[in-house]
Amino acid sequence: MPDVKRKRSKGAEKPRKKARSESGSDVEDDAQAQILSLETGILESKKHYNNINKLMELARNKEDGESSLVATVALTRVFLRLLAQGAMTKKTDQSEKEATVIQWLKDRLVDFEVVLTDALAEETTASTGLTLAMRVLKAEGQYRDNKEEYSFPEPFLKDIVRAIIYDGSEDLRQEFCEKYLGEYADVRYFAFKALNEVFGADENEQAVRESLFDNAFEVLSFFEEVPDTMEDMGEFYIEKAPKKHPVSILSQQRRLGQVAWLAALRLGPNREQRKKVLQIMTRSIAPWFTQPEFLADFLTDSYNAGGSISILALSGVFYLIQHRNLDYPSFYTKLYSLLDKDILHSKHRSRFLRLLVTFLSSTHLPAVLVASFIKRLARLSLHAPPAAIVAVVPLFYNLFMLHPSTTFMMHRVKATIEDTGFEDPFDANESDPMATGAIDSCIWEMVQLQGHYHPNVSTIAKILSEQFTKQSYNHEDFLDHSYGSFLEAEFSKQVRKPPVVEFMIPKRIFLPQDPASGVEDNLLTKIWDFA
Amino acid sequence: MAGSQLKRLKASLHKEGLIGPQKSKKDKKRDSKSGVKRMDKRAALEGIREQFNPFDLKHNVRGPKFEVTSNRPTNKAIHGRPVEAKTASEERRRQTLMVDEQRKNKVGGIVDRRFGENDPTLAPEERMLERFARETQSRHKKSSMFDLEDDEPGASFDLTHGGQTLSLDGPALVDDFQEDMEGLSDEDEDSEGRRAYLKRKALTEGEDIDVDDAQPDRKKTKQEIYSEIMAKSKAHKAARQEAKEEDEDIREELNKQLHSIRDLLFKTKDPRNNEPLDKAAEDAERVRLEKEYDLRVRQMLQDRRAQPTERTKTDEEQAADASERLQKLEEKRQKRMRGEQESESESESEKEEKEPPADFMEEDEEDEFGLGSGVAKKSKLLPTATDLGFDDEDDFFIEDDLVASGSELSLEEQDEDDEDESDQGGEDDDEFTKGLLAENEIKDPAFSASSSMGSKDDPAGVPYSFASCPETHQQLLDATKNVPIEKLPVVVVRIRTLFHAQLDSRNKAKLGNFTLALIHHLPYLASRRKLAPFSVFEQLIRHIHSLAKTYPIEVADGFRSHLEDVAKKRPLDPNLGDLIIYTAIGTIFPPSDHFHQVVTPAQLEIARFLGQKMPKQLSDLAKGVYLSIMILQYQQVSKRYMPELINFNLHILLALAPQSLKNVPFPVHELPDGLRVNNAQAAEIRKLSCYDCMESERSAKDQNIFKIAIIDSTIKVLDAAATLWAGKSSFLETFEPFKQLLVHLTSRPCRSHFPDALKDRIRKTQTRIEQMLKLAQIQRKPLELHHHRPLAIKSNMPKFEDTFDPSKHYDPDRERAEAAKLRAEFKNERKGAMRELRKDANFMAREKLRIKKAKDEAYEKKYKRLVAEIQGEEGRESNAYAREKEARKKAAKRNK
Repeated sequence: MPDVKRKRSKGAEKPRKKARSESGSDVEDDAQAQILSLETGILESKKHYNNINKLMELARNKEDGESSLVATVALTRVFLRLLAQGAMTKKTDQSEKEATVIQWLKDRLVDFEVVLTDALAEETTASTGLTLAMRVLKAEGQYRDNKEEYSFPEPFLKDIVRAIIYDGSEDLRQEFCEKYLGEYADVRYFAFKALNEVFGADENEQAVRESLFDNAFEVLSFFEEVPDTMEDMGEFYIEKAPKKHPVSILSQQRRLGQVAWLAALRLGPNREQRKKVLQIMTRSIAPWFTQPEFLADFLTDSYNAGGSISILALSGVFYLIQHRNLDYPSFYTKLYSLLDKDILHSKHRSRFLRLLVTFLSSTHLPAVLVASFIKRLARLSLHAPPAAIVAVVPLFYNLFMLHPSTTFMMHRVKATIEDTGFEDPFDANESDPMATGAIDSCIWEMVQLQGHYHPNVSTIAKILSEQFTKQSYNHEDFLDHSYGSFLEAEFSKQVRKPPVVEFMIPKRIFLPQDPASGVEDNLLTKIWDFA
Repeated sequence: MAGSQLKRLKASLHKEGLIGPQKSKKDKKRDSKSGVKRMDKRAALEGIREQFNPFDLKHNVRGPKFEVTSNRPTNKAIHGRPVEAKTASEERRRQTLMVDEQRKNKVGGIVDRRFGENDPTLAPEERMLERFARETQSRHKKSSMFDLEDDEPGASFDLTHGGQTLSLDGPALVDDFQEDMEGLSDEDEDSEGRRAYLKRKALTEGEDIDVDDAQPDRKKTKQEIYSEIMAKSKAHKAARQEAKEEDEDIREELNKQLHSIRDLLFKTKDPRNNEPLDKAAEDAERVRLEKEYDLRVRQMLQDRRAQPTERTKTDEEQAADASERLQKLEEKRQKRMRGEQESESESESEKEEKEPPADFMEEDEEDEFGLGSGVAKKSKLLPTATDLGFDDEDDFFIEDDLVASGSELSLEEQDEDDEDESDQGGEDDDEFTKGLLAENEIKDPAFSASSSMGSKDDPAGVPYSFASCPETHQQLLDATKNVPIEKLPVVVVRIRTLFHAQLDSRNKAKLGNFTLALIHHLPYLASRRKLAPFSVFEQLIRHIHSLAKTYPIEVADGFRSHLEDVAKKRPLDPNLGDLIIYTAIGTIFPPSDHFHQVVTPAQLEIARFLGQKMPKQLSDLAKGVYLSIMILQYQQVSKRYMPELINFNLHILLALAPQSLKNVPFPVHELPDGLRVNNAQAAEIRKLSCYDCMESERSAKDQNIFKIAIIDSTIKVLDAAATLWAGKSSFLETFEPFKQLLVHLTSRPCRSHFPDALKDRIRKTQTRIEQMLKLAQIQRKPLELHHHRPLAIKSNMPKFEDTFDPSKHYDPDRERAEAAKLRAEFKNERKGAMRELRKDANFMAREKLRIKKAKDEAYEKKYKRLVAEIQGEEGRESNAYAREKEARKKAAKRNK
């Protein structure tokens, strides 16, 4: 009987505590001795049940933290013992008097639970309070009422969850997640349920809701991976639920995860919070959803929000399209509109490009549309950092390989049009990728970038004007670069070969040239003043 | 054939003439004379034997095959000799297997492995001879390189003193000494060579002291032969040397007599002196001398060494050479710009890169020194820089300074001239050259003492000499702490001359470190509150440049470490020193290269600043403008495009414009609004300066002036960029935003805040840009990038085998072919081995049976013999008994 053991060990702890406090002050010692005697009294006979009230008062008394804590612990022990003894279980053959006692005890237990949830809000007692509360929860679930029926003390858990979400510290939430939520399937199930109810009843103003959302996000995002099998769900905290009960059904668990997330999202997260949600959307949130359609609203809203939120929402939308067959009207138009002047400078650039590669990899896309994307990206790369250009060029190459009719953008021999004065038919302001006229245009931009200052970039850009002999380039090799990585690559190389030194030593660097020499001043001295 | 076997044999023997009627003596004689008879007889017998025993040979069972293409052409009718083969194998088994079998289960025994012991064909004498030969051979072969005994073949006979008695006053000692002396002449020969030398010498002297001669003549080993050859060549060399020395002596003697010869030569011109001499004798003497002189002259003319290897070049030729060299360098630069050198093989490119400058320098030096040095010494002309060991590039350097340094340095130069009354006097008006002349002094041993006394300062406080070459930046600071900043280049010149690499072997490394210290000094100078004059920076950079030609790797490393420092410590916040470093890199290294170890990271860093810096203050903008100019200057030749530059400068205009502009096609940072120009109509336009790159508090008026200056410079920069990238294919798209901005700046709400001069510039630039855009539009053509030759479908010529043999395997896969071959071989071998084993087993069974039979037979025989013996004895006994009985009967009868 593990429970008995635990109780014993708890009992064994007590003298130690006592011993420690003995070395402290006599007053405390007295108080604790009194608590102890009260406790033993309760356990000895039913006559001393009124001691519970005294202990309760002590426990409520927050001024004396130490003895309050001791009293709480003592009460926990008392209730655990009582529950284990069955002193709080109704039996058929009980007298009315006994029934009143049991009812009275139950009321006291409810009172005590309030004390415990209050303790959760206190910084100092939170951790102990959580442990005690969960233990009481366990005992309550195990010994209450008739044993045939599976029951979980939901109201108490709801109180605990409410306390944790509303008032708990970050550490407390962390502890709750690590020790209980992540470990036990039933705790998780009912905690999700409780979350839903907590948020559902919520009528707070925006600021509170935002902080609430933060807390809820913290708890919910604890699950990086969604359980896939029953084994992943974890053990049961109280006892194994019957097979038929929703707790032990995976889909029900997930449904409640979905419910909890929906409830949280209903709180109305602000921009930053949305970003956080979107970042973990495909990996940690969407898998909970048995009906991901519920996410569609949130995602399409985010997708339409513009800026980096759109980019982040893109992967979620894609998830829905991919897994739920979501029909997103004018998806590519929207995608095209995401290609704004900041996209290649954004820190989500590689994330976006990865998705873009996926979206454009279909061979069934109309060439006109693909050409628009190519031309737009080419325009953007005229102002892009080298890392972006490096990522974009292989994409072009692969697109040209996939859609041969777009290759006219690189090579257009037209006898009808006069040799020079070719007007670019591309309309940069057109928002519909099917109507930009890019397919009749050329990618002069890339030719210019073949003369890029960075040797690697120019070399990569040159693949577009060489013969297309490779089947495709692997995008991953080109995506994650930056100024830093380029510089590091340069500095990591040792100088072995003596570098070339300019053979002419210039006569003047900063100062103007001697007028007699007939050499023109350099640009620096023309524009800058070195007096 | 008819008749019995015997008859046929007789007939054939008869036919061959082996039997038959006896030949006459005459015939016999003739036959024996011709000598063919006996051989013929044997061959004939052999033939007959073969013919009469058809089962000795194996034939095709069904006669010869028909000729078809695929069967192997075999023209031998006989496939084997089964009987012979069988007997041979039997015999072999008897010798090996049988012996083994007999030795089985028996322990011990001695195997005689002496040569020829088991060979009955060898006669005992032959055997002994061969054994001796083998022994000597094995002894002769150096079995081990550490075998000391073998080193001296006659070791046991070798006496240290040649068998002579040891006595101190004997002649042996003298010999020893002499020998030693002789030994000295060929010091580094090994003892072997020396011995060979001695031997050869002895031979020439007719003596016979050779140690090797004690042994019978034998063939010389290769080593000996070679050492002999070497010794011979050395002797020849020594002889030549001796002859040369003799010549030398004679020449010296002649030189000594030259005075008298000259006296004699000039004597005729001075009649007073030769009065006492006899007229006739004098004439004769003169004729003789003249003759001799002519002879000498002719000889000297014919001497190959008198011929110039290269003739003196005219000025035009030299100019042509120089231009050709420049052209070559330019070509090489072009190649680097296109990034072609990387495509070449590594070694080749390295060779190319390394060699030409070195070659060039050497050539120059050789040729200059070949004709210049002597002249300079004699004629006391001013030594040029080349004479002093500088290469051509530095030549430019000094000449330029001769031209250009007049303005600010003339004062102290005059001072120096007054002070320093050296043999150059006032001719030399440049301090660079002066420093180099100081080097000349040091080269001359006469001056070395004076230079070492050191610590003499010129009036400006610049010491003439330094105790040690400053090798770290700290040392440089210490060395120059009392020197006014303007004099720093003078110090550098002096240090460079004092520690010129040609003066001491260690100076090369020292100067290398000094160069590094100079590189460190650049940002240090720029970090001071009061900036040093830029002429100093310029001179320092040029010094580093000229040093970089000697120490390219060190200089490159110095700059790279600085760049790395910038990248690590202040990636988006370069200081003035860093700007100077970027400038220095742009001039010292060729920024047009496709890839350059120093320029590429520098450009990346600048681009990073331009691309990622969020300008907060005006000084950031000023720095950006400076760096933009830097990039434009970098790309002056190669005209490479940098997106960040356009972005940044457009961004500046956008940030400073009095009104904001929406919908610009380039990324825009969040801008502090305080940067905008406001009511700056009165501000005059000035150029930006380095002080603008420092953060400082400015008054509102200064702020406005500063802002206007930035706008002005930015427009200039973008204008220059437009000019630089005018030919780019996407010029339209690149500069369209600039035009937009210019239009925006000329719009009423913006224009009203600008001074007139700026308005003017904006308008001018706008028209220029519009023209350029129009031109670009006219010139635009559709792209035609892919005029490649179409790729051929890969085709394979069928491979024809000239001498195809169907029985051979022509597997193109080498490995598989080899494996198949191995497998076949294995199969063959296995078959053979199985057959052999089976035969062995048969043989053994047969032998065993034979032995058993023999044993049984012997037993039977013995048994029979014994039975017979017993029976005989029995018979005899029974006979005796019968006889006895008879006798007894007879006796009884008798007795009866």
